[in-house]
Amino acid sequence: MSIMSQRQLESDILKEKVYTVTLYPGLEVFVLPRKGYNKKYASFATKFGSIDSDFLVEGEEKSIEVPDGVAHFLEHKLFEEEKGNVFDEFARLGASANAYTNFTMTNYLFSVTDNFEECFDLLLNFVQSPYFTTDSVEKEKGIIEQEIRMYQDNPHWRIFFNLLGALFINHPVKKDIAGSIESIQGIDRAVLYKCYRAFYHPSNMALFVVGDLDPEKIIKQIDDNLEKRDYKTLGEIKRIYPQEPAEIQEKFVKEEMEVSQHLFNMGFKDRDVGFTGRRLFKKEIATELLLEILFGRSSELYNDLYEQGLINDRFNASFVAEKDYSYVIMEAETPDPDKLYQLLLSGIKEFKEKGIQQDDFKRQQRRVLGEFLRNFNHLEFIANNFLAYHFRDINFFDFADIILELTKEDLESRLNGIFDEKYHACSVIYSR
Amino acid sequence: MTNFHNYSLPNGVNLYVYPTDKFKTIVFSVYLQQNLRRDLATRTALVPFILERGTGSWPTSRELVKVLENLYGADIITEVFKRGERHVLQFLLEIVNPLFVPGEKDLERSGVEVLKEVLTNPVVEGNGFKESYVKREKELLKNNIEGLINDKVSYAVERCVQEMCKEEDYGVYRLGRVEDLEGITPDNLYKYYRELLDAGPMDIFVLGKVDPEKMAILMEETFNFPRQDSGEIEPTLVHKEIKEPRYVEEQMDVNQGKLTLGYRTNTTVKDEDYYALLFYHGILGAFPHSKLFQNVREKASLAYYASSRLEKNKGILLIASGIEIKNYNLALDIIQKQVESIKEGNITDYEFENTRVGLINQLKVSEDSPYYIISRHLDGIISGRLQTIPETIEKINKVTVEDVVRVAGKIQLDTIYFLRNKG
Repeated sequence: MSIMSQRQLESDILKEKVYTVTLYPGLEVFVLPRKGYNKKYASFATKFGSIDSDFLVEGEEKSIEVPDGVAHFLEHKLFEEEKGNVFDEFARLGASANAYTNFTMTNYLFSVTDNFEECFDLLLNFVQSPYFTTDSVEKEKGIIEQEIRMYQDNPHWRIFFNLLGALFINHPVKKDIAGSIESIQGIDRAVLYKCYRAFYHPSNMALFVVGDLDPEKIIKQIDDNLEKRDYKTLGEIKRIYPQEPAEIQEKFVKEEMEVSQHLFNMGFKDRDVGFTGRRLFKKEIATELLLEILFGRSSELYNDLYEQGLINDRFNASFVAEKDYSYVIMEAETPDPDKLYQLLLSGIKEFKEKGIQQDDFKRQQRRVLGEFLRNFNHLEFIANNFLAYHFRDINFFDFADIILELTKEDLESRLNGIFDEKYHACSVIYSR
Repeated sequence: MTNFHNYSLPNGVNLYVYPTDKFKTIVFSVYLQQNLRRDLATRTALVPFILERGTGSWPTSRELVKVLENLYGADIITEVFKRGERHVLQFLLEIVNPLFVPGEKDLERSGVEVLKEVLTNPVVEGNGFKESYVKREKELLKNNIEGLINDKVSYAVERCVQEMCKEEDYGVYRLGRVEDLEGITPDNLYKYYRELLDAGPMDIFVLGKVDPEKMAILMEETFNFPRQDSGEIEPTLVHKEIKEPRYVEEQMDVNQGKLTLGYRTNTTVKDEDYYALLFYHGILGAFPHSKLFQNVREKASLAYYASSRLEKNKGILLIASGIEIKNYNLALDIIQKQVESIKEGNITDYEFENTRVGLINQLKVSEDSPYYIISRHLDGIISGRLQTIPETIEKINKVTVEDVVRVAGKIQLDTIYFLRNKG
């Protein structure tokens, strides 16, 4: 076998063990045995998302710039093979297959109870065999155009991208994942193959398999599959992002739509960026805990706003922590966006003056740990998150340990770091 | 036979305990049922929102939430859903399996007590619920009902059902009607809630690493309030004569048209033909290999989504697709051709076999989720058809192409609903 390295990731808190190997020419493989589950779930992902539209492969002379929406387009087209659509093959085996593209990755997956080996081969094969024809690429444009239109009618999607457009000046995270109806017209076979060659090389990919399975056997199956493909190693892929200033693009964006109530989003742009690994994970978890204490169901602010009729139980605050971009986002449905905006700002200010209470901190620590454990019932959750974090050089299992080692001071430093009025923006969708 | 241990508590509450080591949590779920009626639906739907606001021991939601957060984030998840003309309230509490949080004692008991508090001991003022809670939750329910319009995909499906079942109770939205809210007072709602708790059929499920006998004792000690348990749920209306399909159009400021077709299958989960109906649904639109996905999306590139869904207690089948507005006739034609072709027996081995293995896979997978195990059992109780997974698989394996064609022959188009742009 062509194993480049091998290790085991364990978590005492979760009582789980993941078998991990790196196979030539650089594919990361994770296998988590789960006794007693009928379902077997596999996901095969590439670190290629909507933000990766300008890149340089080591050894090549020129960087390549591609139209927006190409990662998502490629995801749609990869299911097509010379013999037909690979969905059909999965269906024959009783499996359900799917894929998704987000800002930073594309993930192909299936779940099945029987016929795992055959399905797994199918997954490995179709993801590694691109087959794009001019006709089929053209035809896909109609389908994706309808997908884009569906999202255009979705007010939550619109308000979200309007906010990203206000927070970020240059970074491609402000662009729709599927691109635009105009940009996808520029996608053809050649563009798809160019991206495929760079981003679908095994060294840019990872596999996660979970279920009542034997890790050794699975690793062998992958190894056999890779061996016959005669891969060469690929140089590093340099992703080129425009330089993003700390400042925001604009303070306020608005739009009107046919919605029952005004929708309100507010974001704070994080300026503490540019790193991955455990440091990034710690930042993410500390900020999430902080948001729970500040805006969660048991917070003073949430309850005040709820009583005043300014928010309902869909109010939500969350944090996104990628290597090069990061932000806090608050979402609400409200009868009075202006008033809600003022009260959120003054609420944050007062909270900063008062500081974090120890008992709030301890309680949220328990809550977040419990939620993490609960999610480990769901195989899809484990696999998808594990890979997403892996691409940020994070071991997802560290979550529980980090939660327990965080201190109130860690959260306080995030509180002062991120909630700076200079770096916030609002997006509102007014009800017509 | 199933893995559930059944108990009947002295007050008529049914208890089902499913011991298993498979999961990292223990799930407690209480279901309270009421007839789905237009004039009751709003009140029924409002009750759980009020109960979540606080209890005698923890009179504000803030205090209640803090208790739950301390129990490792054991959220109580309330849901309101329809099963045919039956309105079901769910109160679900999920706690961490104590094995994973060493040193914690009696997490189960604390969890069960909070759940019981929420269900039976609301904050009372005079002869009613606390007035400010009712006032606020009425406003929020109004927003919630009106908010359906924000998601055009769901909106178009719900509107088709409403139009189709205009004259049946099933046509009422699961959260009720805005116009009923005005007549609801803290007093009359409290009275209604007491009657519901007293009479409505109540089922409690416990699933996780528990000892069934000990759990039964704990539940009997906790859920010890007296009840009449006299409520009966009336049967769902399934058969309705259709003279001619209706066309309903609605105009809104949208980019994409939403086409929904509502059919009466004249078959429900209670019928022997039900398994053939599952095949019909699978061949037509439940999977990526189905006729709708293959023909509307893959062959004609008309849509991103084109699929069918089935309400098995009511016997309604809905086809939904998002299309370019100018393609209305073309899409409608292709969709109706698919429906016709099954009637004519135009079913390939490929479609039939894939549906069979797909259905079996779905069933087996459902055993890996505490929520699905519980909801499958609840559905079995409601339909009077409690079967194990192997029993259901056996029924599925017996279905033939002829059975599917026979079921297809009973299916009638009732309503075509089209949400389109203005102009």
